Amino acid sequence: MSRGRPAGYARAAADTIRNKPQIRSAVTAATKSFDAHRREAWSQIDVDAWRDWCRDVKQHVVTHLDRYLEEAEAKLLANGVRVHWAESAEEALAVLGAVVDEAGIRRVVKAKSMLTEELGVNEYLEGRGVHVRETDLGEYIIQLLGEPPSHIVGPAIHRSLDDSRRLFHEHFGTPMDSSPEALAATARQALREEFLAADLGISGGNFLVAETGTLALIENEGNIRLSTSAPPVHVAFVGIEKLLPRIADLSGFLQITARAATGQPIGNYVSLISGPRRAGEIDGPETVHVVLVDNGRTRLLGEDVAWEALRCVRCGACLNICPVYRQTGGHPYGFTYSGPIGAILAPGLLGLEEAMPLPFASSLCGACADVCPVRIPIPDILLHWRERAVEAGLVPASERLGMRAYAALAERPRAFAAAGAGLRFVPWALGGRALPVLGGWSGERAPPELSPRPFHRLWKEGIE
Amino acid sequence: MSARDRILERVRAVLPSREDAAHPGPFLGWRAGPLASDVPGWFSEMFTKAGGEVVRVGSPGLASAWLADFAAGFGTASVGATLPADLIPQLAIAPPEVAELGVSMGRGAVAETGSLILDARDGRRTQLLPPTHVVLVRVEDVHATLADALDHVSHDLPSAVGLHSGPSKSADIGQITVTGVHGPGRVLALIVG
Ligand code: SF4
Repeated sequence: MSRGRPAGYARAAADTIRNKPQIRSAVTAATKSFDAHRREAWSQIDVDAWRDWCRDVKQHVVTHLDRYLEEAEAKLLANGVRVHWAESAEEALAVLGAVVDEAGIRRVVKAKSMLTEELGVNEYLEGRGVHVRETDLGEYIIQLLGEPPSHIVGPAIHRSLDDSRRLFHEHFGTPMDSSPEALAATARQALREEFLAADLGISGGNFLVAETGTLALIENEGNIRLSTSAPPVHVAFVGIEKLLPRIADLSGFLQITARAATGQPIGNYVSLISGPRRAGEIDGPETVHVVLVDNGRTRLLGEDVAWEALRCVRCGACLNICPVYRQTGGHPYGFTYSGPIGAILAPGLLGLEEAMPLPFASSLCGACADVCPVRIPIPDILLHWRERAVEAGLVPASERLGMRAYAALAERPRAFAAAGAGLRFVPWALGGRALPVLGGWSGERAPPELSPRPFHRLWKEGIE
Repeated sequence: MSARDRILERVRAVLPSREDAAHPGPFLGWRAGPLASDVPGWFSEMFTKAGGEVVRVGSPGLASAWLADFAAGFGTASVGATLPADLIPQLAIAPPEVAELGVSMGRGAVAETGSLILDARDGRRTQLLPPTHVVLVRVEDVHATLADALDHVSHDLPSAVGLHSGPSKSADIGQITVTGVHGPGRVLALIVG
């Protein structure tokens, strides 16, 4: 399930666009449909007031993070949950390893969770000879394909119905013209056995309520409810920024997250988990572990501009509207989180050098900031990382020179007009590719149609 | 120093340079719900829109009669631990892993999100494993908003509360929505009173 690295972005993106046109069409169709649903769902509410409220609660949490972490820990412990802290992926996996050893775990079912992707939970368990099965249908499909998720909400949106037909035909011998219902029924049966045989269920956490020590999980299929109900042990990995102060705060966040992600009024299933099975309850896990994971989040908190990214609720709305993400899906980004949120998180979580060139994988059109339910100023953070990259000498010399030449021209109106006029005569196929900055861009695109008169002339003459 | 202390120490080293943001207070949503004057009707509209079915009956006696009639189409049932005895259908009782029908006692419902509130004390497997799920809810337990409902349940939290807002669905195969993927493909809210 290799994911590559951000450094391979340009090549992987170009390869996807050139050689896998079906990915672009599947991703574009899926994201447009997600986005249309979001727009419809937002038209029904006082969206500006909702977004302000959600931004303010998250900002409050992040600026009082120590207090809420301690409160959540105390409540979880009082509820009988075993609480662990992990500074890094290695530490988080070591916690899991200890649980596996202690309870003699052989079979694991997993609920969809981006944090467990970030930590590399599946590879770790497989390396220890533990059988691990993804149970979200999209995650199951990509696990069988050996791919990482392409989208934080719809992990398999880059795959078509025919891709799934072929996959199920190879694995289960289902006919090549099976309906989506028949394929889902096949998966249901295979995974039902996994749920009932598993000795451990692993989940992430959308929110962790400090006041009551309650973990909130959102989904549509029921696999998270089953993964956290059927096996005798449950381990939840939760990023330290996922806290909410009070259980009442869930009322806004459960609704806006679903409306932003898929346009639903709420996720089809919400699990509110406050501990292991109690006396008098007839089922549920006997042991629940919560692992509070840092893995770069405190580093991001220390970033004066980018720290606002810690408000993210992982709804995927910024991916769905991003014209750059829509061309390729998530794989070329080479990082667990893709699209606009991935481009601003990567430098914070991985370090700027390792994250290059993701802050540049954007046209800065600003659409992401318009849809973000917690109002993260994504374009400002992208620009900030770009400036930092230039300062650190992480940007190719040709690009720096090109930008400097552009700045010099832009400050001199006459020279700018003359250069613009000259550009109109550069043949696209030859000259366009040779130009700094534009070269890489023009290589993948058809030439733009030029208006008969340049903009600065139209402006002077008055645009009709 | 433990990982816990190092994480908290790093957080505390940064926070003085971040401006304190106040909590904005309770979530107000859309203030007056679109159908706040008819809360059960609002619930029905939202739950039906998500693919669920709603049956409304005036009394426990009528609920029991409706349930007997409905259960006749099934061979076996798994029932919730807190379901009143007179509402248990006259079917062979089977474990939830194999039962054709699940019948649960709902802790309540939420109108604005179209959600049933299910309590772990009633049994989680019955809520999730049978392909058809009937949930009884007393009409006085239908809350207008999620905020009201959460306030109500927070005073007595079991190990798990599930909010179920329609049949299990997925669009992960070619972006085409299918139902009954892991949880029940058919879910009915039986509103009593
Ligand atoms: S940055 Fe905003 S829009 Fe993007 S995933 Fe996070 S919360 Fe959603």
